[in-house]
Amino acid sequence: MSPKLYPRRENTRPDSLPHMFCPGCGCGQVLNYFLRACHELDVKPQDMTCIGGVGCAARIPVFLDTDALHGIHGRTLPWATGIKMTRPDMPVVVFAGDGDALSIGGNHFIHAARRNIDVTCIVVNNLNFAMTGGQVAPTTPLAATTMTTPYGSSEPPFDLCKMAETSGATYVSRWTTAHAMQAIRAIKTAMQHTGFSVVEIITGCPTHFGRYALGTGDPTKVVDWIKSAAIPKTRADKMDPEEMSEGLVVGEFVNTQRPVFYGSTIYESGDNDETS
Amino acid sequence: MASDGSNPQSRVLTGVHFMLGNYATSEGALAAGCDFFAGYPITPANEISERMSQRLPEVGGTFIQGEDELFSIYAVTGASIAGAKAMTATASAGYNHFQEGIGYAVAVEAPCVIVDVQRCRGENFATQADVMQMRWGTDGDYEIIVLAPSSIQELFEYTVRAFNLAEEYRTPVIVASETTIALMRERLDIPTAEEIEIVNRKYTDLSPDEYKPFAAPEYGVPDFAPLGEGYGTIYSINPHDEEGSIDWDPDVYERMYDRLTGKIAKNRDVICQPRSFAVDDADIVLIAYGSEVRPALDAVQMARDEGIAAGLLKLDAVWPVPEEQIKKATAKAKEVISVEMNIGKYANEIERVVAGRVPVHRCTKNRGIIHSPEEIYRSIKEVWK
Amino acid sequence: MKPLKIRFCGFGGQGIILSAITLGTALVTKKGYYAVQTQSYGSEARGGQCQAELIVADEEVRSPHSDEKDVLVAMSQSALDRYVSDLKQGGILIVDPTLVKEIPEVDGQVIEVPATQTAVDLGNRIAANMVLLGFVQQATGILTKDELLSAVQDLVKPQFIDINTRAIEAGIELAEGINLEVIE
Repeated sequence: MSPKLYPRRENTRPDSLPHMFCPGCGCGQVLNYFLRACHELDVKPQDMTCIGGVGCAARIPVFLDTDALHGIHGRTLPWATGIKMTRPDMPVVVFAGDGDALSIGGNHFIHAARRNIDVTCIVVNNLNFAMTGGQVAPTTPLAATTMTTPYGSSEPPFDLCKMAETSGATYVSRWTTAHAMQAIRAIKTAMQHTGFSVVEIITGCPTHFGRYALGTGDPTKVVDWIKSAAIPKTRADKMDPEEMSEGLVVGEFVNTQRPVFYGSTIYESGDNDETS
Repeated sequence: MASDGSNPQSRVLTGVHFMLGNYATSEGALAAGCDFFAGYPITPANEISERMSQRLPEVGGTFIQGEDELFSIYAVTGASIAGAKAMTATASAGYNHFQEGIGYAVAVEAPCVIVDVQRCRGENFATQADVMQMRWGTDGDYEIIVLAPSSIQELFEYTVRAFNLAEEYRTPVIVASETTIALMRERLDIPTAEEIEIVNRKYTDLSPDEYKPFAAPEYGVPDFAPLGEGYGTIYSINPHDEEGSIDWDPDVYERMYDRLTGKIAKNRDVICQPRSFAVDDADIVLIAYGSEVRPALDAVQMARDEGIAAGLLKLDAVWPVPEEQIKKATAKAKEVISVEMNIGKYANEIERVVAGRVPVHRCTKNRGIIHSPEEIYRSIKEVWK
Repeated sequence: MKPLKIRFCGFGGQGIILSAITLGTALVTKKGYYAVQTQSYGSEARGGQCQAELIVADEEVRSPHSDEKDVLVAMSQSALDRYVSDLKQGGILIVDPTLVKEIPEVDGQVIEVPATQTAVDLGNRIAANMVLLGFVQQATGILTKDELLSAVQDLVKPQFIDINTRAIEAGIELAEGINLEVIE
């Protein structure tokens, strides 16, 4: 890769690189995209709090020069809510894997979107539980082979973006690591957005998803598969659902505004009803 | 906001009240400076959330009703790391869900206050059955502070103290409330704001280059740094060194847990402030905590009236165990009675501390209601045959 | 002073618990006493029965429950039947004759206070509990009328203060000439 792709090395945590991601893992690319987005927006991770849960993607904040919360599976958005309510001035960015955001943390994801907390949530979707060795996830395609679906998965996957949209997220887009420029642009838009912004990035996991589900551990072949599976939204809109049932639609799905969350009860003056 | 004529916009409702226990807990939190509360509905803790939802916005704080208890505990730790004095409250079944987040709060040293209004599984009857759950529930090694109030006045005062201890030791502190006192109304005297001692966490004077987020003296507490100002702290539950770097090194791990447990265990004599009643010449020493202190004191009086030299050690903190104070109070006793509203749990700790020097009898009741004085007095007489 | 133990009982919706809270609030915040109030909750209160206990003293109250009550105020037959055995020997039983038809034999003083009828005459049946409080205030003298009314003002929504005040005054009239010794 060209050194130009690491424009803001000073925004990485000192002495934290090289990262521990597997060769060909998309997490390194997402880290890179985020650094690039920060550089282009002229914002610094030092001025933010970045949150990871548990999983491969959860390690991304650890390589950023930022305040970070890490190490609990699925609770990134409750943390983010508590932090944002206390420090509304400070940007909060969540890096969640698909297991973190949709499996153990699925309930929190729905409610964060419903409340429209002013937080950016980057979901790094590698379509399986990778840190633990390649088990089936709620995003794993139907019939895919994983370590816990040796005969193929019988579980239909979630569409994260549809769920985010239905739940009330005010910015939603999906790209893949094969769409670098679009992904960077989406991260930039999400970070400038006021409200709950979700960027899903489909990433390659050659080590597990590649080997078990795709039959290849070759990173380039995994990227090729991602490219072939990705259908731009403009094209998908014209296709009949049958045709694209196996595909991953990429593009921007929601970009709207509504009031952001600042606590469960409306409070403006001091004229609340007195109750005993 | 009944029964007081004071300014409701005030954090401290100075004056005499006839207040519900759960409200007193909330008022203690507000007086201590609580500015963030997250909770999830559960009986008999609901009045804490309800009161906070009304009062917190009045004083500039944030109230959130989360989607579950896991939200509550992690929103609270997040808010705490961001600088808030944060609290959540639940009843026993909800506390199960808190356990996960308590482990995180312990490991990253996030001060917070957690109220457990203990109830009998699924029913809102009185119990002290969570006394071990509050000590041992989450994964890994840890020490924790658990305060057990016995009255509405103590619900207020111990909640204030819980915040102070949380800030001082950078740890979650549990207020072990109970159905008995949570749903009871009683006289509460709230002092003036000036009379209430408030402890705030320490923030570092060092620059980001000099600062090490988890560096502290032996058995001490590290200073905080604000978020988003270039300090680059990683608050990870994973083993971390003084810099906060996630790292597996057995030496680092052992040192980290020596300090995390030591900062509480080595300060147990400061944290625990039990009170003794007539123990100096007592042949029989009762040990009680929480609401059970009330009938136990009556029973001691009944025994004294009958010429039996009984006394009581009233524990304020049940964890850490006030070992020295228990040893001292039972030094001359011939019999010890552990009074509890459960199957007899804390008695094991007392037995451990007195180490066979004096017999420890169990006066337990597990029927959803506090002991009557007569029941405890009967135990005293049985022991003193 | 010996702790004074009062139980109010009846069925849900009669304001049984509010009676105990109002009396407790007045005695603590106006009179300066100590008091503890508890109530039945959960499945203990099945069958629509409802009870609240108030213990009043001039020092901190220890045990929050008492076996024997000095005063039992009963606003339903079933609650009376259930709780009458808790009345101490020589205690005071106050019943509402509209709701209680059969008064069990008790070793103590029995007083019938037509609280419900009085409240109906005032135009709001729900104020019967306040008639009883007015009666208790005047007959026992444990607190003044002003102390009681002041507590009502603290606790009750503004639109209900008038009816409650009139109910208390009617209760006070019913206590004319009655003198109950409750403080030892």
